[in-house]
Amino acid sequence: MTGILRIALAHVATAIRERVTLFWFLIFPAFVLVLLALIFGNLGEEGEISFELGLINRDTVSAGPIDFAEIVEETFRSLAEPGEGSAEPLFTLHQPNDDTDVEAFLDSELTALRRGRRAAVVVIQAGFGNAVFGSYGQASSDSAKLSVYMTTSNVASQMATEIIEQVLAGVDREILTRGGRYDAAQAIEPETVWLGTTGEETPYVDFVLPGIILMGFFVNGLFGVPGAILFNRDRKVLRRYWVTPLSVPRFLAGFSIGHLALCGLQFVLLYLLGRYALGASVSFASPSAFLLLLLAAVTFLAFGFLIASLARTTQGGMAAANILNMPMMFLSGLFFPIAGLPFFLRLIVYANPLSYLAQGLRASLGIETSVFTPTQILGVPLAWIALSVVIASIRLRWDVER
Amino acid sequence: MSALKSLLLAELRILMRDRMALFLTLLFPLVFILVFGFLMGDIGDVSRSTMGVFISTDLDREELEAAVAAAGTMEIVPFGSLAEIKEAVAAREIDFGLVWDGKQLDVFYDAARVQENFAFQQVATGITTDFNLRRQGVEAALSVDVIDIGATSSANWFSLVLPGILAFSVLSAGLSAISGHVTAMKERKILDRLIVTPMRPVLLLVAVAGVRLGIVFVSTLITLFVGILLFGLRYEISWLRYTVFIVCGTAGAMGLGTTIALLVRRPSSASNIAHALSMLMLFLAGIYFPVEFMPGFLRALSVAMPLTHMANALRYAVGVVEMSEAEFWAISASFLGIALVLFPVLARYVIRPLRH
Repeated sequence: MTGILRIALAHVATAIRERVTLFWFLIFPAFVLVLLALIFGNLGEEGEISFELGLINRDTVSAGPIDFAEIVEETFRSLAEPGEGSAEPLFTLHQPNDDTDVEAFLDSELTALRRGRRAAVVVIQAGFGNAVFGSYGQASSDSAKLSVYMTTSNVASQMATEIIEQVLAGVDREILTRGGRYDAAQAIEPETVWLGTTGEETPYVDFVLPGIILMGFFVNGLFGVPGAILFNRDRKVLRRYWVTPLSVPRFLAGFSIGHLALCGLQFVLLYLLGRYALGASVSFASPSAFLLLLLAAVTFLAFGFLIASLARTTQGGMAAANILNMPMMFLSGLFFPIAGLPFFLRLIVYANPLSYLAQGLRASLGIETSVFTPTQILGVPLAWIALSVVIASIRLRWDVER
Repeated sequence: MSALKSLLLAELRILMRDRMALFLTLLFPLVFILVFGFLMGDIGDVSRSTMGVFISTDLDREELEAAVAAAGTMEIVPFGSLAEIKEAVAAREIDFGLVWDGKQLDVFYDAARVQENFAFQQVATGITTDFNLRRQGVEAALSVDVIDIGATSSANWFSLVLPGILAFSVLSAGLSAISGHVTAMKERKILDRLIVTPMRPVLLLVAVAGVRLGIVFVSTLITLFVGILLFGLRYEISWLRYTVFIVCGTAGAMGLGTTIALLVRRPSSASNIAHALSMLMLFLAGIYFPVEFMPGFLRALSVAMPLTHMANALRYAVGVVEMSEAEFWAISASFLGIALVLFPVLARYVIRPLRH
């Protein structure tokens, strides 16, 4: 028993001493967790996203009692002021000065838009106020007096345009209300209904934290296990073990305990980061979540042995791990939706144990409803463990060829 | 000259035998685009989404149907009951559902689709706005004309991601080419043997760089053409700019990689540091997510990343974004400058025997 524990301890100590292992084991998952939470956690919320916006008012002559162009301009200006607590404004406005040539300014703004330095350019066309005042809610097809220039190839430009359209829809209702043509009190406000176990929108960090923990387990098994086994074999470290009374099964037991301890440590550190730095509220304190985390750690441990058994050298093992890493990680629904994938990629999704573990873990945490049955969630990873154990027991060499 | 030729041939043979390096340089970008092409092709595009609609009353039915029809090209699926629409959302048969009973307009979303719901909510808000106007029999006072002035009007986000991935593979291959290879030569004591010949250290770096440069160029071309053929991406490639940038960018990244070679002893450490650095930059350089989505401090950090500028320059070279000529040439010249300055300076420190 002491020998097994010493092997386990040696495995943990080696992993922690290796700075590169530490990077992939902890720093990289933590970095991805923080980055994704910062980007997607508050997507679209004011104060968390900011667009560079060109605004040009060509309608400088007001014909009626109300300066409609000024209303539009003022609306955008108000959205360009810092929010509460100096939060970033939604827009950073770029407008011409009084003595600027408006046409030249528009040209430069459109160039900036094409070059990705503006998300959109809004132009209030000449005659805008007259058109609004004249029709007052009876827009005709040729009354396009507000132009929004954007680029479809840029997601930020698309998002900015959608927000601008909503802002202008608000201005539109305001103008119609002032003209007595629209009764805001009669308007229907849509009721948002979140379908899920909690009845509320899942906070992004709660959604992504289980995925990042599984990613950590996966990378740990995929790179850490074959890396350690093959490196120690090729460097003849394992040969030194075999001249001691330590048997292969006892070494395996120690190595596996060390690997599971590393996964446990990884889980605790990532959970603490998610909980206390990023405000995650998801609780892993349920038997089913514990079981799935354990299943995940064992699955990727076995998977690591499978790779180690198929590779002849450390380099070959790392190449195989690199080939499998990206497709398996991203074709599992850990980070991106996988609903619209073509058939041949969906085959990878269905064969991928990560897909089942991710959905199973999230379902056990009440984050999402799994499309897989409990039998599939447990069965597919268990099948991978069985397959890996069989192949590894047949093929894995514990010493370099003499 | 013959020394350089011999070194070039030797390097080529070494690379051809090194399956790991060949894979990482040639096929890794392909794996990236195959996975991300399908995952990210529709990002930000709700036109391919499916909305379920259940209207249980004739009150304002026509107005709502007209508002839904005017919402865009997404697929609309009618449902016969509230339970059916809820089941369909939960089973992800539809992306979101709209239910109108004459008094209340409910929009059903899957709470777990945290990355997509924002776009669905935008669509639902647009439909509600239009519906409210139609119910009161008024048309919008403001008419908004949205004009797409993108370099390639049919482009989607993935058409920008692909040159970003190419830039990443240039950086990644460049960073690890010299750092990993030279430290491996040190470790295998090959460098010790070369040092005692009349070979000039810089010639070895030039040979390593030349061979890797050729492979990187071929790799980017394969990736680019697979992207074009498989995903129907359209680019207006300026081959002069493309070639110039791949050469300058790879050389510059190799120059930066030489610094890594100077700092580490083991080849695995060099490759790992190069890989770790390029992965960190991959997330910060606006390759997958637009920089605008990031918080202010990350946007500022993004500007400091070489990969941000490499991706922008390559996007310009393939014609999906615009950039001033001066900026493009300044970026290219900067990377070439890094190579020209770092190569000779570091060659004498890097190309020397392993310290025992």
